[in-house]
Amino acid sequence: MIRGGKNYVSSPPAFSNDTKRLLVCSGNAVSIFSTATGLLITSLEGHTALVTAVVVAPATSSASKILCYCWTASLDGTIRYWDFSVPELIKTIDIKFPIYSMVIPSILSQPAENNEKPAKIFAYLSVEGTKEPEKQSKALCGQIRKCNLTDSRLVGGVTLAETKQPELITISSCGKYIGIRIKRKLHIWKVPSADSDRTMAKKITLRHTKNMTVTAFHPTQRILAAGDVTGRILIWRGYGNRTFAIGDGGRSVNNEEERPGVRGNDDADCCTTWHWHAAEVNTLFFSSDGAYLYSGGKEGVLVVWQLDTGKKKFLPRIGSPLLYFTDSPDPSLSSISCADNQIHLLKMPSMEILKSISGIKLPCSFPETYKGLCSGVAFDNNAGLIALRTENYSIQLYSLFDDRGISEVQVCERNHHPGDDVTVVVTLVTLSLDGSMMITTEVKLAEEGLGGLVCLKFWALGSDNRKFSLSTVVYEPHRDAGISSIAFHPTRCMAVSSSYGGDFKTWVCNNGIQRRDQVLTSSRWTCHAVASYKKKPMTAATFSYDGSVLAVAAETVITLWDPDKNVLVAVIGETLTPIVSLSFVGKSEYLVSASWGSKPQLSVWSLSKLSISWSYRLHVEAIASAADLSLFAALVFLPKSSKSSESNETIFRGRDGVILIFNAADPVPSATWLVNKAKGGALAFLQVNQSSVEENMFDGKPLGSLLAYINGDHEYILFEPHGKEANELGTIKQEAVPDLEEAGKFGYASIYGELPESNLKRTQTSAVVPFVPSEKLLETMFSGSSHNLPPLTKLCSAFLESLLEKRITVSD
Amino acid sequence: MADQHQQNTTISKAFPVKPKLKPKPRTPSKSPESKYWSSFKSHQIQNLISSIPSIAFSPVPSSHLFAAANSASLTFFSSQTFSPTSSISSFSDVVSSCSFRSDGSLIAASDLSGLVQVFDVKTRTPLRRLRSHTRPARFVKYPVHDKLHLVSGGDDTVVKYWDVAGESVVLDLLGHKDYVRCGDCSPVNAEMFVTGSYDHTVKLWDVRVESKKSVIEVNHGKPIEDVMFLPSGGMIATAGGNTVKIWDLIGGGKMVHSLESHNKTVTSICVGKIMGQENGEETIQYRIMSVGLDGYMKVFDYAKMKVTHSMRFPAPLMSVGVSQDCMARAIGTSNGIIFGGKRKMKENEEKSELRDFLGLGSVEEPQRRILRPTYFRYFHRSQGEKPNEGDYLIMRPKKVKFAEHDKLLKKFRHKEALVSALTGKNPENVVAVMEELVARRKLLKCVSNLDEEELGLLLGFLHKYSTMPRHSGLLMGLTRKVLEMRADDIRGSDALKGHIRNLKRSVEEEIRIQESLQEIQGIISPLLRIAGRR
Repeated sequence: MIRGGKNYVSSPPAFSNDTKRLLVCSGNAVSIFSTATGLLITSLEGHTALVTAVVVAPATSSASKILCYCWTASLDGTIRYWDFSVPELIKTIDIKFPIYSMVIPSILSQPAENNEKPAKIFAYLSVEGTKEPEKQSKALCGQIRKCNLTDSRLVGGVTLAETKQPELITISSCGKYIGIRIKRKLHIWKVPSADSDRTMAKKITLRHTKNMTVTAFHPTQRILAAGDVTGRILIWRGYGNRTFAIGDGGRSVNNEEERPGVRGNDDADCCTTWHWHAAEVNTLFFSSDGAYLYSGGKEGVLVVWQLDTGKKKFLPRIGSPLLYFTDSPDPSLSSISCADNQIHLLKMPSMEILKSISGIKLPCSFPETYKGLCSGVAFDNNAGLIALRTENYSIQLYSLFDDRGISEVQVCERNHHPGDDVTVVVTLVTLSLDGSMMITTEVKLAEEGLGGLVCLKFWALGSDNRKFSLSTVVYEPHRDAGISSIAFHPTRCMAVSSSYGGDFKTWVCNNGIQRRDQVLTSSRWTCHAVASYKKKPMTAATFSYDGSVLAVAAETVITLWDPDKNVLVAVIGETLTPIVSLSFVGKSEYLVSASWGSKPQLSVWSLSKLSISWSYRLHVEAIASAADLSLFAALVFLPKSSKSSESNETIFRGRDGVILIFNAADPVPSATWLVNKAKGGALAFLQVNQSSVEENMFDGKPLGSLLAYINGDHEYILFEPHGKEANELGTIKQEAVPDLEEAGKFGYASIYGELPESNLKRTQTSAVVPFVPSEKLLETMFSGSSHNLPPLTKLCSAFLESLLEKRITVSD
Repeated sequence: MADQHQQNTTISKAFPVKPKLKPKPRTPSKSPESKYWSSFKSHQIQNLISSIPSIAFSPVPSSHLFAAANSASLTFFSSQTFSPTSSISSFSDVVSSCSFRSDGSLIAASDLSGLVQVFDVKTRTPLRRLRSHTRPARFVKYPVHDKLHLVSGGDDTVVKYWDVAGESVVLDLLGHKDYVRCGDCSPVNAEMFVTGSYDHTVKLWDVRVESKKSVIEVNHGKPIEDVMFLPSGGMIATAGGNTVKIWDLIGGGKMVHSLESHNKTVTSICVGKIMGQENGEETIQYRIMSVGLDGYMKVFDYAKMKVTHSMRFPAPLMSVGVSQDCMARAIGTSNGIIFGGKRKMKENEEKSELRDFLGLGSVEEPQRRILRPTYFRYFHRSQGEKPNEGDYLIMRPKKVKFAEHDKLLKKFRHKEALVSALTGKNPENVVAVMEELVARRKLLKCVSNLDEEELGLLLGFLHKYSTMPRHSGLLMGLTRKVLEMRADDIRGSDALKGHIRNLKRSVEEEIRIQESLQEIQGIISPLLRIAGRR
């Protein structure tokens, strides 16, 4: 089992004391990267939920720089203490509340001089109090608590604040002050210098007129910066002079006039505002000497403010919203975390990007109107690659086995501005079976009906540099209609694109005769054939395993074509709602279709009988079929309604998807897994070649294929679909395989119809009536020329029979 | 390397606005053969009076000479410069045909008075006057291997075999029932020749035959315009009507192939050669070159039975000739223009010739001293210094070129970018900038911000290009929007009104075109349907 695709930017990372390592919260683990190479060294595994904070114990002297201890906090309610050089878990503190943020002021401020007994270490936690969820549902469920790490217990009775949601705690670099922001207020506490269980921190509050997003403390002076949702940066100087002054009432209260910008009775000397960011400020950070303030936001520009003058310097074109800025003990190195799951290591005064740690690209948000056009991802089944569409108009090729990005292909030569609304969308991506070719489609959205453009691009993999290069561009391949699906021929240079405009086109590459190395320069895709079926929108297309049959879904029916001669071979079936995806089941005679909408349906069609074999009323997100087996896997998205009953609650436990493995001939699933975040997920069977190392991890026995599941957040897992042993998966947990009755009871899998039986009946009726009805008896019964119609007496019985058959289906 | 690549991708690059790619022509790029035939550098010889019925190249390549019959004169041209060198005008009527003797020193010419004359090429003095044809003589030909005899034919349907020295007719060959228009002598035999006539037949004659009857007769089916032996001597090609037919004489006059690629009458054919090199050996491939009244010159590979090259000239073509070494080509038209063509010799060919001439191998050049870091000069190498073989090359990243509108777009000065593209010449760039503005949701804002002069610029552009199929998808919609948004400004200005009038005119014209196209489609589509059913 391999997991990966973790989000590296869910929480701020932390540098080790020698700045050679970067500790990144990645899902349930902390990944440690080398700052010199940007590669993963090791990871700290142990938490059972998302890790939300990592705090490296600072070195108190130069000799202790090699010490590698860190504290981590997680949503599973534990704080763990690690030696991350080994890596080894030293201590676990269970506080039973999900922790959203943790700061440890005492280890920052602790001077090195006390050699005798080290003072107790206190952590300030932002936890979610879930003791009585019914009562607190409306009220404040976030709490700021204090925890004695030395004694491993929560300090009783000390709750600094209660908030509606758990808030992020900010700490000053000397560890004297901590602060949180709640909407338009900032709460700041001074941490007592000799902290103990009983001492309470003093608190002040600063107010602003806008919701604030982030705060930062000046390292030496009493200066506080805060960013708000409009992009303003507020800087308070001399905060807490009254409250935090040594000796109470040391200074008299200033007049209102002498405190420009400070609201009401807030305890600060003055407040200035800087405004450069157009959108909300996501990160603020003071440089270690306190001369500069770094700020970043949605625009993807890092701004450096000179604190005294307000002069700006920029690091533009980072290409993605900035989330965190982290500095290291070494003043020449710092890191910025971007929303596209990348962490850039910056060389500091010059702000050059030294290295980038890039994770899997996160799913991008698209305008509503084009949601339906975007299919998720494409798999290269042999190489274990996944092609993902990214926000900056490129395709990321990510190796599932190695959990790292292979390359990126810029599909559309445009500058990406993270703040802008989306106007150009890469909608579809498909890889050929051998991974040497790729097709992408992109849509340029029209401005008030002007200038919309659909573009189909064919890419070929270079033989030497293993990079995709553009081979052919087709503008408006189906006039202005959007493309619903694209598929490659399994063996030849052929592809099909189907459109909502009512036609599909087959494309061929004209390099059939030429040798492989010449393909790059001279390969050109041309349209081979155009076809349509009753002018219906074509919603899905796929080739059979050997490529002899092309199946195209025309809304609710499936049309089968000879791809070479472009001849309609057969039309099968009818579903209730338009089909969104089609897939042949390996080499078998079955075809699987999935339709969405109000009456979702998963149907299996038999090509030998040209009729439906069986179907379920399920909302299927993705279908994957193994190439050589008659198996297929379906990712079923469970709607909210089916989970509402309590009996289901215990089984699903917040999971919203099921992976079902079917044998095509048998409607009873052979295996079932419950999964998270199934919306937007994808499935694929990956071929494991014998030489790969990963193969050995699976019980030592050779494997045919692995099932890859990638969820809506682009976290993925590879597992062996036939493994009988229960896999403890965390996000994906193997449940007891529910049999069909159970499934029916829970309502997520009600049987749609026992149609194989009706097939039998139909053959009987066809013996009676002189013409052969195709699929739907009622529809076809009265069609045909009048002289050919059977006598009414015979028709009547057939008619009644068909009614009877329907009853049976319903009563079942 | 991988890291470097990552480095590049982390920071999003700046892309200049690019126009949409144009579709490449579907026809494959030129084959090597058509490259060969179009490598003839064309020369036009203009100042001749009337049509050129005959062109003859001197059989001696070194003389670089060809003769063209033109009106009542025979003009010699240099095949290197295509300038007239001399001319013979001692004809009483229009010259119909001319032919060099095999050594290139004499030329025979026939005219419409029926007289056949033989001239010295150098002195241009008439040496012999052969008078026997009672009607216009149409062709005269020197046998390839015979310096003493001539063949001629004319409108009196008689083919005459002359003894040139004695100015006497050796044989009168009767058999044709209509005007004899053309003929050719066998390249392998001095006694055999073919003649073609308007009675649709081509007759092969052998002067050794006592009966004076033709040996073989083939029927082309159309009046024969030209006939020639193929270099093997066993086959002939005939031109008549709009077909060229190839006949096998050894096989008894069997038709081998009929070539129907001309649309109008084929007037003249000749043999062209392709000098090529294959595996270091010189190869010669023969082609049939045919010209016709449709203005096309076609090159036909009679080994593969395929037309390999086709070339169009702006006039009906009457005659064609190719020099012996195939370095020059001349085509005569009906309106007195000769389209000459000279093949460029490749430099290396020339050089090799030169070297062969010198008979020496390459002279060893003095070896340059290799710079070492111990030399002083090593540190004074300039940027132009070429890298050594072992040097590791560090490529400078390619600089992206930004046009004016790209720079303005980068600064978000959208309207200025649009105006700068509009003032430029390239409509592709304008459309590309417009598309970029659409992607930024700024196009309509730009349109509303344009001042009057700039609006005029935009309207002028729309007038020119909005009906162009490549851009009309965007520009038609834009035109409508512009008219809606800026109606008041347009009403207020006369200059803009003028633009609108132009725009209206071009749109109306486009509508007319579309309607007529629809009519055509209406006519064609039932035909296509019928064809598809078959």
